[in-house]
Amino acid sequence: MLRLFLSLVLAVSFFGSFSAKAETELWGDYSGVTLRVKLIGGGQYEGLYNEVIPWWEENTGGKIEIVTQKNHFELDKEIKKDIASGNLDFCVASNHTSFASQYGNIYTDLNNIMPASVLADYTPLILEHSTVDGRLVQMPRHSDVSNLYYQKSLYEDADNKANFKAKYGYDLTPPETWDQVKDQAIFFSNPPDFYGTQYVGKEEAIAGRFYELVIANGGALFDEDYRPIFNSAAGVEALQWFIDLYNAKAVPDGVLNYLWDDTGLGFASGTIAMNLDWAGWAGFFNDPENSKVAGDIGLVRAPMGSGGLRTGWSGSHSFSMTESCPDKEAAASFLWALTSNKAQMIEARGGLSPTRPAIWDAIIAEKKAEGDEFMLMVFETFKMSLAEDAFTPPLIPEWIEFTNVLYPELQAAILGDKSPEDALATASKKATEIMEDAGYF
Amino acid sequence: MRKFLNGPWVLLMPTLIILTCVVLLPLLLSLWTSFTPFKLTKPDTLYRFVGFRNYERLIGDIDFWIAFGRTVLFLAIALNLELVFGLGIALLINKITYGQRTLRTLMMFPMMFSPILVGFQWKYIFNDNIGLMNNFLREFGVIQPIPWLVDGILANTSIMAAEIWSSTSVFAILLLAGLLGIPKDPIEAAKVDGCNSWQVFKNITLPFLMPFVFIAMTIRSLDVARAYDIVQMMTGGGPAKRTELLWTLISRTGYVDAKMGMANAMSYISIFLSIAFTFFFFYKLVEARQRLSYE
Amino acid sequence: MNKKQINNILIWFSAIVLIILIMTPGLWVVLTAFRPQVDVMAKPAVWIPRNLNLIQFETMLFGGSEGSMGRSPIPVLSYLRNSLIISFTSTFIAVLVGTIGGYGFARHNFKHKNKYFLLIMLTRTIPGISLSLPIFIIFSKIGLIDTHIGIILVFVALNIPFTIWLTDGFFRQIPRAMSEVAMTDGCTKLQAFWHIELPLSRSGIASAGIFAFLISWNEYALVSNLARSTDSKTLTVGLMDFTAQFTINWPGMCALAVFIIIPALILTFMVQKHLVTGLTFGGVKG
Repeated sequence: MLRLFLSLVLAVSFFGSFSAKAETELWGDYSGVTLRVKLIGGGQYEGLYNEVIPWWEENTGGKIEIVTQKNHFELDKEIKKDIASGNLDFCVASNHTSFASQYGNIYTDLNNIMPASVLADYTPLILEHSTVDGRLVQMPRHSDVSNLYYQKSLYEDADNKANFKAKYGYDLTPPETWDQVKDQAIFFSNPPDFYGTQYVGKEEAIAGRFYELVIANGGALFDEDYRPIFNSAAGVEALQWFIDLYNAKAVPDGVLNYLWDDTGLGFASGTIAMNLDWAGWAGFFNDPENSKVAGDIGLVRAPMGSGGLRTGWSGSHSFSMTESCPDKEAAASFLWALTSNKAQMIEARGGLSPTRPAIWDAIIAEKKAEGDEFMLMVFETFKMSLAEDAFTPPLIPEWIEFTNVLYPELQAAILGDKSPEDALATASKKATEIMEDAGYF
Repeated sequence: MRKFLNGPWVLLMPTLIILTCVVLLPLLLSLWTSFTPFKLTKPDTLYRFVGFRNYERLIGDIDFWIAFGRTVLFLAIALNLELVFGLGIALLINKITYGQRTLRTLMMFPMMFSPILVGFQWKYIFNDNIGLMNNFLREFGVIQPIPWLVDGILANTSIMAAEIWSSTSVFAILLLAGLLGIPKDPIEAAKVDGCNSWQVFKNITLPFLMPFVFIAMTIRSLDVARAYDIVQMMTGGGPAKRTELLWTLISRTGYVDAKMGMANAMSYISIFLSIAFTFFFFYKLVEARQRLSYE
Repeated sequence: MNKKQINNILIWFSAIVLIILIMTPGLWVVLTAFRPQVDVMAKPAVWIPRNLNLIQFETMLFGGSEGSMGRSPIPVLSYLRNSLIISFTSTFIAVLVGTIGGYGFARHNFKHKNKYFLLIMLTRTIPGISLSLPIFIIFSKIGLIDTHIGIILVFVALNIPFTIWLTDGFFRQIPRAMSEVAMTDGCTKLQAFWHIELPLSRSGIASAGIFAFLISWNEYALVSNLARSTDSKTLTVGLMDFTAQFTINWPGMCALAVFIIIPALILTFMVQKHLVTGLTFGGVKG
């Protein structure tokens, strides 16, 4: 095995007024070592690199060379081509729990490299989600799950309350179930100026949203042998939810072309009543510079499906180390630095959900001390839903390919080209082919 | 040796070497992969020969043939519209003597736009919420936003509008070149004989222009795949595959699903399509040239 | 007013409408680069710009100010340098090789000439998607990924066929007798080519050149595969720097687009005169 000379320093870190649990640090002397890295780019991700890279270089004497920095879908293509051409000349790369299983074993098993005391600082469930075939292939950077943002004033308005009660027979309160979301969305909608809600309408995005609703309705995408079983009552019910909102014009007409920026900007524009979205948007929504709903935002845990479960499609951004990396020890130190207390605190202050329990405590304490009620609510809600509701998509290499056969069928049903049963039957047939080809049965 | 040095082959050698290295060899490699279950993420699959399995599957794949049919239809309509518009623009500019050079440059403005930029640009023009188109219509009282990139017909029309905007200039400049080369004498003579403008156009201008029409068509059919960038950025083939063209399908299969073997089988079928288009126009061109030189 | 004047007015009127139709979608991109983000995304639309500024250009060149959480500057100057090197070199080589090839076709008769000609043209029909991966694999074996040379090589191959086509047409128009006379006066074949045939066909070469340049300058699909870092990324590939995971910085992208459009426009205007003559003679008499 590798000979590791780890200088394990136990240090106490302070965040604001709160003193976090002792963190295991992973420093060493790496003068003369240059690590080639491929990172996910874009405004919200780059802040971390600007702080952590100089910090790591200063403390270890090593150097980081960023080979590429681009969005995840482009990075994914690049890495697939690298695998195809056998050209893995980098050490560390950005990764994601939903993507990781595609890459076979180009990434090394960090269980053999990271000291157990370092791993103990992360949330165990997230490390489990970062594991593919028993191999820990990535260190989690931050986690994502969605909760329901809404415009508070709509629910406080007396006319709205009375009219809603008269029409639907129950009180207008922030929704607990997806059926209530549907009622309220239709109730609030006044197209084309105002819509009750919206959803992402294409690619992996809508496939993921469909998936979480199937689970929440008590169904599943696959059985234990990975035979598709989503063409079920739970599946049809989930798809019907998307169709009903579309037909009732409770979502914008262009919704099938929407991705995450469209839903986020839509809610910020003040023309959407409820929006299921990620934690990273919270700060943006509540910033008067960017958002018309700043100061008027409520947040509840993602509602429940008919199966009594809450939707909780979740994943984590992460960093991996290649098997071919010549300086595994230095790379381990860098992986640790990128996901250390210091690093996670930087991202948490931007509103992202940390993967270390200590940082949850620290950020909540900090927001309490600052008296920032809104961000406090955000962190508490997301902490709870990550702990209780979150589940990952099937961690199989075929996930992305599967979403590519599923989403056009979902769209066809939403647009009325096909019945939901037909659409799911077609998707199910194609999914069976994929799984068969991959040798699951 | 001396014979070789004086012959054509020494002159063609550099061309042939470059094309062999950069086009032919990669093409053979991709031909090979189309007979394998090659997945990008499993490099070993490159060495597993499965015969015509990919092609057999494609023959039975309705989605593929729908995309194929849509691509043929899209090209046929787009190329013809570009030709008609290009001809109109060329005829118009040909009439103008003062400031023609400036007009010609302005006309070529869209050629400066990279197809990928054109894709982004028209995606924003047709955005249903904040797009130029809907904002413009709103000023005229069309309050209900039109979902340009959702409705099947509208979405294909929108993509075609982008494609036509970006490529009509090529037709216009080639046809204008043709118009400027028409000898003036026959036209004057015809007018003296009492022909009206339409007769002159039909009997003199058009036959002379035909080779240029086919040149333009050939050049454009060589280059049609550049529409890929535009479609990919505007709709990515969606929603519900309503705007799926061969190129979006191929690139998703190859790079996102990582099924390169299958994607290359699709490519090969689509290469035959472009070759057929090119052949057709090239032979029309040869014919038209011959007719012209007899007259 | 007589009929001719009315006719003239009609022609000018339609020309103006036409130019507006052609220019608007493009100018809108240029305008967006100078407008604040709020105006661009505004609903209802802001038609008359309330203020124009250079913020997008500043952010692009020097990095974001506070608020945009450490947006790094886009290395526009490296991209511009790469674009210029790659486009000019590949255009030069393609025109050189293509002109020689065109001369070969024009001045020699050999078996199956038409078929070879068509075959060379057909290499251009192959969609970039089917070539990009095999080229990537071959180039990565010989270390040409992320280098100027690799990308130049691909563009040369892309642009040779059309150059051959145009120059072949030109050389055919020049009577063989002219160079034969020169040769009896003591010129070598090469000197005759250099002093007589080449100058006479410069329009054709210029128009082939501008087409080759525009194709190289604007190509995306192939370069995005072969270029990875600032060592070789071109301006068009740089456009993707403005797309983050799920968001597109459209005004920023427009600012970079301005950098792409202007050099191409200047160059086109410069060779404009040759372009039309070049196409006229190059195409028809093949």
